[in-house]
Amino acid sequence: MRTVRDIAVVAFGQTDHRRTSDELSEVEMLLPVLHDVLDRTGLQTSDIGFTCSGSTDYLAGRAFSFTMALDGVGAWPPISESHVEMDGAWALYEAWTKLLTGDADTALVYAYGKSSPGSVRDVLTRQLDPYYVAPLWPDSVALAALQAQALIDAGETDELALASVAARSRSSATANSHAQLRGSVPQGDYLVRPLRTGDCPPIGDGAAAVILAAGDRARELCERPAWIRGIDHRIEAHSLGVRDLTDSPSTRLAAERAGAFERPVDTAELHAPFTSQEVVLRKALRLDDSVRINPSGGALAANPVMAAGLIRIGEAAARVHRGESDRALAHATSGPCLQQNLVAVLEGDAR
Amino acid sequence: MPEVLKAPLVVEFPFTRSLGPVQSAFLTGLRERVVLGVRTTDGRTLVPPVEYDPVTADEIRDLVEVAPTGTVTTWAWNHEPRRGQPLGTPFAWVLVKLDGADTALLHALDAPGPDAVRTGMRVRVRWATERSGAITDIACFEPYDGAPGELTGHDGRFGDMVTGIVAPARLDYVYSPGRAQSAYIASLSERRTVGERCPSCRKVYVPPKGACPTCGVATSEQVEVGPRGTVTTYCIVNIKAKNLDIEVPYVYAHIALDGAGLALHGRIGGIPYDEVRMGLRVEPVWSEGGRHPDHYRPTGEPDADYETYKEML
Repeated sequence: MRTVRDIAVVAFGQTDHRRTSDELSEVEMLLPVLHDVLDRTGLQTSDIGFTCSGSTDYLAGRAFSFTMALDGVGAWPPISESHVEMDGAWALYEAWTKLLTGDADTALVYAYGKSSPGSVRDVLTRQLDPYYVAPLWPDSVALAALQAQALIDAGETDELALASVAARSRSSATANSHAQLRGSVPQGDYLVRPLRTGDCPPIGDGAAAVILAAGDRARELCERPAWIRGIDHRIEAHSLGVRDLTDSPSTRLAAERAGAFERPVDTAELHAPFTSQEVVLRKALRLDDSVRINPSGGALAANPVMAAGLIRIGEAAARVHRGESDRALAHATSGPCLQQNLVAVLEGDAR
Repeated sequence: MPEVLKAPLVVEFPFTRSLGPVQSAFLTGLRERVVLGVRTTDGRTLVPPVEYDPVTADEIRDLVEVAPTGTVTTWAWNHEPRRGQPLGTPFAWVLVKLDGADTALLHALDAPGPDAVRTGMRVRVRWATERSGAITDIACFEPYDGAPGELTGHDGRFGDMVTGIVAPARLDYVYSPGRAQSAYIASLSERRTVGERCPSCRKVYVPPKGACPTCGVATSEQVEVGPRGTVTTYCIVNIKAKNLDIEVPYVYAHIALDGAGLALHGRIGGIPYDEVRMGLRVEPVWSEGGRHPDHYRPTGEPDADYETYKEML
């Protein structure tokens, strides 16, 4: 993917992700993360050229919560700003296009989700087809379980293999102080068969932020910027019964467009809230055992809804910053059973 | 640190949705116990049917009846049904490819247990007793071993077509307002109004939200303001609000409490509505057991000078 400007992730920050955060409002939860990324770059809020966020009011049941969250970025006098009712990874995509136009040299992208006030399994039913599906209230675990069973029937995985995905993720997360589920976590009983509690993500609250910068500005702000070599997102038909749930052609196409298959990656941060979804993504992205998958623990270790996808990009970028990766793939998903998928390829300059 | 405040919050809407011609035929069909699909440009039959071809985006209108029997393409056992779901007893979620269809429909399967369910099993529609033209007119599926069910021969044209659905949606939350607003509410219970000062620009926010929207920094220094204040601007309300026992007309005003950096709003009482003016000095009136001032009334002081509140309009 050739672009008119080189754009990089220059800073990433996230909260500790916890089951509840009763004592904090959304903006109170977000503020420390915003200051974290600003401090890492030495930027002030007034230096930021474009601000874009991802969140949904349905999670905490607070109307216009995203406008209240804007208090945290110093939005007055009016700043150049936008919001998507999607995971923050899509806010990052919008910010990337804004920087490509040359209208801005730096962008602040943030996302937050407080799942604790409501019942996230039920809340997510409201994103489904309102005519044929939402009236049946199929919760997020049930839909993922249908996909998992389809994979088992196709011989692509079994319960034991799914359990090993869960175990590997939580074991990796021991090195991630922000994660909610770390170390040895029992696979547990069936939540919706064939998925057990261990196959499902923890429910929790959290926030994340990223700063993007273009060209020389990126080199000034970060010792080893994580250059976005390509980024693309694709969606599948919304009716579940039209799709082959064992595959993800949208992920494959997004990866192709992002240039992921041009050269091997050494690391992949996959947004797979359910163990079975990692099976689908590995296949679509042609990731073999040479690639380090989800060193952060992934969404199985911390899944702040609306931020978990942005965190994948942030975690991949942070590894490039630290010199632990030279070419990393980051993936984010949205909707039931991996309906919509975003893939970004990040690279560090040769050392 | 005061204890964390919590309160139940219910968000509930009856969403009224209009239907396209294909959706209308499908849902009317369910009311009449007929299952209709739609033919795509490449000749596949989609059930449930949609208005546009998922591959070519062509407008598709060619309705075709399929059988009320079919085959499970994947399933998931739900041992703990949740509110709103099709069955109150443990059931299987299923995708069912109806006989004659090329795609699968999501619904519930009534089965005695997970051992009685498998991919490839045969099922048939169990119709709801009362049907209105909704996906829930299919009560669920049930196991069935037999040949494809018979077609009614219907072409999808019905008298009295269903043109819309009402989809009730309810979500339950336990709301907590966070640190700054909890502290604000706690001090109100002692009839004190406490805002927070921005460490950067020194402005005092009432009620506090925990952040200064100008500087983008956290606020924490608590500052008691009022109790007296100045009307910065106001309006006269002539429409009686539902569930509100206040005589109209009355005045609703922005009030800058002494020491606050911005105005909050409240009702003005104790003075004829047409005598309220900008600059009027007011003080809060608390009702017995009230958790916030019931309204504000004139203090009798001389009006405030415009220069003292013009930045807070």
